[in-house]
Amino acid sequence: MEGPEAAAPVEPNREPSRQLEMDALLSYILLYGVVISLALVTISLIWKWLATGQVGFVYELAGMNLYQFATTQIRTTLAGQIRPELLMNLGIAVLMLTPFMRVIASLVFFAAVSKNWKYVLFTSFVLVVLTYSLFLR
Amino acid sequence: MTGMGGGVILIPALTLLGMDIKHAIALSILSIIATSSGSASAYVRDHITNLKVGMFLEMFTIVGALAGARITLTSSPRPLFIAFGVVLLGSWAALLLLGHQSWESAASQDSFSRWLELEGSYSDKALGKTIEYRGRRAYLGAPLMFGAGVIAGLLGIGAGALKVIIHDLVMGLPPKVSTTTSNLIIGVTALAGTSVYLASGLINPGLAGPVFLGVAVGALLGTRLLVRMTNQSVRRFFLFVLIVLAVEMIVRGIRGV
Repeated sequence: MEGPEAAAPVEPNREPSRQLEMDALLSYILLYGVVISLALVTISLIWKWLATGQVGFVYELAGMNLYQFATTQIRTTLAGQIRPELLMNLGIAVLMLTPFMRVIASLVFFAAVSKNWKYVLFTSFVLVVLTYSLFLR
Repeated sequence: MTGMGGGVILIPALTLLGMDIKHAIALSILSIIATSSGSASAYVRDHITNLKVGMFLEMFTIVGALAGARITLTSSPRPLFIAFGVVLLGSWAALLLLGHQSWESAASQDSFSRWLELEGSYSDKALGKTIEYRGRRAYLGAPLMFGAGVIAGLLGIGAGALKVIIHDLVMGLPPKVSTTTSNLIIGVTALAGTSVYLASGLINPGLAGPVFLGVAVGALLGTRLLVRMTNQSVRRFFLFVLIVLAVEMIVRGIRGV
């Protein structure tokens, strides 16, 4: 078995401290995304239960993409109509944006820190496809 | 949980409770974003996940997931039940055959995988040393991951078992790296699938909330429970559950639900 140095001669992101910082950032994005989303959903369910005595929501979303979904929620929030349904929707939106943010952070890392253009390209592709999917109709 | 057992169990359970299979698939894939991101968070922090392997393979899984979810939208329920059962059978067979083989670093790396810089190292706490590894056969892993993405989007599951098999057997990654990297990939793949289901109006937030919360609590309890069980009993338990669910889903597919 050859040593690892035989495999990759130049690899800027082997710079250990930067890599560790990046891992920590990605980890926080994933963790807080899930925690915030869970908190919104939990508060929404408890609120609904306190207000109506039941946890079941009876409403459906008309088919819409995340962009329309999010803008509707923001408009409702600004109008001051905060209801359990709104918190639930926000929870779902935050959840969906969590992996999306993680990909954006990876892109920034590959571009700004490790300057690995090959992976900037790959990550951009993932980001473009995900963005496209969020705007699907 | 163990990289499997989220959607694979959730969807049969929801359909047994009377939910339409397409709605169940949509809710499952949404919950998977949460469970995979939650566990990926811990693994990324511990520097086990390989971000490059993840990003490279995500290019293929997300396109697969978009295609898979589109197929589900136009499909009738019965083929979905049967496909689900077949995938469960496949996971069952994989679990039966694989299980406990030891891993060795690939001696040689093909030029494509080297160009992709698919190598890395992590410190293994159980073994108390740093493991160096090099991934290989990315040209084979990539199209297979597209297939895993199609299945994930189609059936609303993480298809974690399948991804781990591709990482392990085809690309020669160490088991811990393959499990944790597949977790990272699953989050993004599930997002692509979820977008399609959201756009088609299949995600019912009224049901999503309780299901999502239940899955999160279940995943936590499951992990607690799993660490107390031996590897052997976990494996036997999953073997039993998978075969029962596989047969049940196929039978329901054939008999028309």
